[in-house]
Amino acid sequence: MSVQVRLPAALRTFTGGQETVALEGRTVAEALDGLFARHPALRRQLLNESGKLRNFVNLYLNDDDTRDLKGLSTPVKDGDVILIVPAIAGGADATPPCAPSGDALGRMGGGADARDLTQEELLRYNRHIIMPEVGLAGQKKISNARVLCIGAGGLGSPLSLYLAAAGIGKLGLVDFDAVEASNLQRQILHSTAWVGRSKLESARERLKALNPNVDIELHEARLTAANALEILKDYDVIADGTDNFPTRYLVNDACVLLGKPNAYGSVFRFEGQASVFWAQRGPCYRCLYHEPPPPGLVPSCAEGGVLGVLPGVIGTIQAIETLKIILGAGRPLIGRLLLLDALAMEWRTVNLKKNPDCPICGKSPTIKSLIDYEAFCGVKQSPAAAPPEIAVEDLKAMLDRRESFVLLDVREPHEYELAAIAGSKLIPLGQLAARLGELDKSAKYVVHCKMGGRSAKAVKLLREKGFDATNVAGGIDAWSRRIDPTVPTY
Amino acid sequence: MTLKIPRSLIEQVFSDSEKAYPEESCGLLIAELPGDFGRPGRTLAVLEARAATNQFDASARGRRYQIDPRLFAKVESELSGSGRAIAGFYHSHPDVPAWPSPFDLEAAWPGYSYWIVSVRSGKACDSRSWVRSEDGRGFIEEAVVEEG
Repeated sequence: MSVQVRLPAALRTFTGGQETVALEGRTVAEALDGLFARHPALRRQLLNESGKLRNFVNLYLNDDDTRDLKGLSTPVKDGDVILIVPAIAGGADATPPCAPSGDALGRMGGGADARDLTQEELLRYNRHIIMPEVGLAGQKKISNARVLCIGAGGLGSPLSLYLAAAGIGKLGLVDFDAVEASNLQRQILHSTAWVGRSKLESARERLKALNPNVDIELHEARLTAANALEILKDYDVIADGTDNFPTRYLVNDACVLLGKPNAYGSVFRFEGQASVFWAQRGPCYRCLYHEPPPPGLVPSCAEGGVLGVLPGVIGTIQAIETLKIILGAGRPLIGRLLLLDALAMEWRTVNLKKNPDCPICGKSPTIKSLIDYEAFCGVKQSPAAAPPEIAVEDLKAMLDRRESFVLLDVREPHEYELAAIAGSKLIPLGQLAARLGELDKSAKYVVHCKMGGRSAKAVKLLREKGFDATNVAGGIDAWSRRIDPTVPTY
Repeated sequence: MTLKIPRSLIEQVFSDSEKAYPEESCGLLIAELPGDFGRPGRTLAVLEARAATNQFDASARGRRYQIDPRLFAKVESELSGSGRAIAGFYHSHPDVPAWPSPFDLEAAWPGYSYWIVSVRSGKACDSRSWVRSEDGRGFIEEAVVEEG
């Protein structure tokens, strides 16, 4: 029988471009044998190793699928046309590459309240969307997530800027400070023109300009045990960028009580730390630091300084961890503390264990509600234990009356060079115990430092040693602001 | 390699793909078959895009497509001897980038253009076209050139 085999375009390269091949045979199989004899490479395209038709290959005899006839044994007659018909199929992955590997927060992305992305957003977040780990589903999660940044300062700046750029749905900020000139060296959220005005308003203007799609919620308040749960409860992830221990413990405890993840970071001088504290999945801040250090021992950045770029590094790590938690992508920094020594430029990771005896996230917690964190951290002491202190106005009056006392400055020499109150005597806190011999027990001592923390410690030490010592609340910082503006603040 | 498509056909295919969402659309691309079809560097000028019914099992049509071989056979017979042929296919990827999937590769034939339209939240927003590499191990992206 004389038949024609017609080839699809895909197979015509094997026949030198020929669309049809005329062959002899009594069955489809015989016709194919003739085809393979003439064009051997076609065999491998159409048949598998055991001589059966490959998947994705259909043979039609005139208008009928040979599978509905007698397959390869179907007889043929003169003038028949055997059509090789590729099965055309395909499609997206069974597991779409855009589906992140597990949703850390359950609610996000899939909820009924999930917001779709506009055309403008699809373009804006393109570099996210094209990554399999994010994809459209991941970006939707980001765009429906609610993140609270505690502090709009050094860490809060890169945190909120990158989170806003990433398209976080609702970005909350807690702060109550005004922008100060000494903030600008690191708090890149704020610009020179905003000095003296609200940090949060400054932040809102900057973040809205960066990404108007982000809903910015301002909480212009000091975070306290009274308001923390109320403020935190409506957010999915908390990013702690605070610079003091009472707030850090407060944020930790509130996150543990609410079951929320805390993307934590802290910086001091040339060193930084970052971790994710999430009591449901790992340790909390209290597992790491059961109790705060004695007041005054660990100076704040205001007292000890910080390399301006450092919060930029640590804050962006917090932003990355926040996005990972939202996406459920990768391995979050849970149970690990990342330590950066910027002078040596060395990173270390230490593993953290959940403390079964942790007072808040352990097996039998003793802390079941928020406490007084100022007292817990010794910042606000009980009246009996608190060293006597005076306000800067009192100090001014004493100086004006030429009262007899020694004004003792316990800051570091380089701070003394920057700003000092006339007539003060400098003994850095660290040297005080060793230099008590220089002091006269019959004299009256009024002690100050930058903010009042180190001097409180000095007063405690002096009083223990039998000296008449009084602390200056607010330190030279308050002096510059309220008494003598010619003394620079730093 | 290049796939030239008239703007009206792009609009037609995008619109079909949006209508099919959240299922995958699919169809045939018909072109004058160039002498170097199946070789690197060839250019295809699409003359017609013919929508096909997605024959895949209904439960999986959001991530799979299958073109009825009867339609393929019918169109090939119709075009026989005209110099035109089925030279490629289009299909959509709902809410997934316009990259070929492993399954696309498994089912891919040599020479054809596989033009994929990414439809996100019901809106066709991106398309890319792919040709199986000679060794069959992957896809090579070709330029999609909009004409007229």
